[in-house]
Amino acid sequence: MALNFKKETFREDYTYSNSDAAIKRFPFPFPEDQYMYSVNIEPHTKGKQGTVCEFTFDIDEHYVAECLDKKITLEQDPGRYKALPHMMDAQWDFVELTMEALAQDYPEHFSLKKQGLIWTWENKPLGIKDTFTFGDTSTLATEPFDYIGRQLQGDFVLLDHRDETLYADAGIVTSQADWSLAFNVGMSWREWHGPVPRATELGVMDRALKYLLNLQIGSPVRRLNWTMTVNPRLDTSPENYPHWGGERNTVNAENIGDLIHLRVELQTLFRLPRSNAIVFSIRCYLISLKDIATYPRWAKRLHRVQKTMHPDLIEYKGMTKFHPMMVDWLAKFDDGETLAIGTQPE
Amino acid sequence: MEHGYWIKSKPVYNALVWHEKATAHLIIAKNQGVLVALKLFQQRQPTQPVTLLYAQDGTDYAKTLNKVVPAGLDVLNSEQDLLVSLKNIMPNMRMGLRVYVAGSEGFIWSVAEVLKTFGVEDADIMKELTDTLARTIYCVHCKAITHNITTNIGKCSGCERMLFVRDHFSRHLGAYMGLMIDAESPGELPEIEEIYP
Repeated sequence: MALNFKKETFREDYTYSNSDAAIKRFPFPFPEDQYMYSVNIEPHTKGKQGTVCEFTFDIDEHYVAECLDKKITLEQDPGRYKALPHMMDAQWDFVELTMEALAQDYPEHFSLKKQGLIWTWENKPLGIKDTFTFGDTSTLATEPFDYIGRQLQGDFVLLDHRDETLYADAGIVTSQADWSLAFNVGMSWREWHGPVPRATELGVMDRALKYLLNLQIGSPVRRLNWTMTVNPRLDTSPENYPHWGGERNTVNAENIGDLIHLRVELQTLFRLPRSNAIVFSIRCYLISLKDIATYPRWAKRLHRVQKTMHPDLIEYKGMTKFHPMMVDWLAKFDDGETLAIGTQPE
Repeated sequence: MEHGYWIKSKPVYNALVWHEKATAHLIIAKNQGVLVALKLFQQRQPTQPVTLLYAQDGTDYAKTLNKVVPAGLDVLNSEQDLLVSLKNIMPNMRMGLRVYVAGSEGFIWSVAEVLKTFGVEDADIMKELTDTLARTIYCVHCKAITHNITTNIGKCSGCERMLFVRDHFSRHLGAYMGLMIDAESPGELPEIEEIYP
C-alpha cells in the first residue's frame, strides 16, 4: 500500500501532526503502571501488519518531512555526521542492509537493481536515482553512510566491536534526545552511557552490553526508550539547546495537551557481516498528550507512570519544569480502573 | 554532591609504576609531573632504554634529571615544543614501547591525541594527574575548546556563552562538555564557585 507523505515541519511553526492511523500504531512504551530502566531487549522479528515493527525499517507518513528536517539540520551543523576512518567497511555494510530492506519492504517507493557490483538505487518519494559501484566510495557524491543515512527516518550510530566493548565510531544524528555525536564519537559503551542516572547502579548497561556483544548476523534486536519533549521537535540536541531550551517556559495548563509530546525511540540493533560492527538505529516517534488521550487506556497508563516517576529520571529527562502540570492534566482521565499488562491502545 | 556519585566517563588516573615487560620506556611530563618521573626512578632503574620529554615551567629539575636519565633526556621550554619533539621521535619508536604521561589533565590528553596518530591507544598510555584539577571544556554549541577552567561555570573562549561544566568527559576531545547555563532563563546565573583548583 502506498503511503501518503505529509507536508509538515518539526521546527518554528511546528505543523507536525499524526493522522488517526498514525496515533493507533504509535509505539506506546508503557506496559505497566510503573517505569524503571530495564534491559527490555527482544528479537526484532516481523510484527503484525501495520505496526511499526512490521518491517526492518519503519517508513511512515512523516518520511519526506523528516528527511527534509534532517537535511536542514545537517546543513546548519555538518558535525551531526561523523565517521572515523576505520569505519568504511561498516559504512558499505550499512548501505547494503538498508537499501535491500527498503526495496524489499516498500517496492512501490524504493528499488534496488544490482548488476554485479554496479547498483542502481531509486528513492521515489525523495526523487533520487543513482548508479554506483558497491564498495567504491568515489562513485557516490558523499560517503556511503552519509548518502543513505539522509534517506532514512531516525538516527544511526555504527558501533565498532573491539576490546570486548563497543565504540561509537560513526553516526548520523539529527533527532537526538539531548546527546551530542560530536562529543560522544569514539567513546566506549560505558563512557557514553555515563550520564544516565541509576542505570549503572542497576547493572543495566553492563547486562545490555554483554547481550549486544553476542549479537548475531541476521538476528537483530529492538527495544523502546522514551522521554517527554516540548513541541514536536526532532532536533533536541545539546548543540541547539539555546534555541529550544526556552520553549520549556511556554508550557501552561491551557496549552500543555498540545505542546507536550511523548517521544518514543524504537531502537534496533543489527550485526553487520563484513565489518562485524553493529548498527544502532534510533527511530523517533512523537505524539501530543491530546492525541494520547484519544485512547483512555493510554491516558490512564501514562498518568500512573508519570505520577510514580523516580525524581532522578524526571531531572534527567528534562521534565522538571512541566512534570507536575502534566500529571495534573493526565489525572482527569484516570478513573483508577485496573489495567492489564500491555501497551495496546484499547 | 550525593554520596556514591562518580563520573563514569571520567578517566581514572593512577600512580605511575614501571611496566616490566617493555623494550623501551617513554616518559612525558610537564611541570610537577616531573616529580612523578623522578619518583619512578626511586622505584627502580630500568634495564631498558628510557626517553624522557619534560616541559618545564620555571622550576628547574634538569640537573637532577640529568643524573638519573643521562641519555635520552629532552628538556623543552613549553608544551608546544614538547608536542613537536614527541612527533619527531615517535616514528623511531618500536613495538614494546611503554608510554607514561604525568601532568595536568589538559596536558595528558594533548599528549594522548598526538600518540593516537601513531597508533598508541589510550588504554596503553599510563597517566598520572599532577598540578591542578582544572578542566578543559568543549563548547557543545560553537565547538570551541577552553582550557584551565577551575569553576563550576566558565565563559566559552569562542562564543562567550556562560557554560555549565558537565560531568561528562570525551577522551577523543580531551575535554568535558560545556552546556549553556542560562538558555532557559537568560542572564540568570547561579553562583560561580571555584571547584577544580
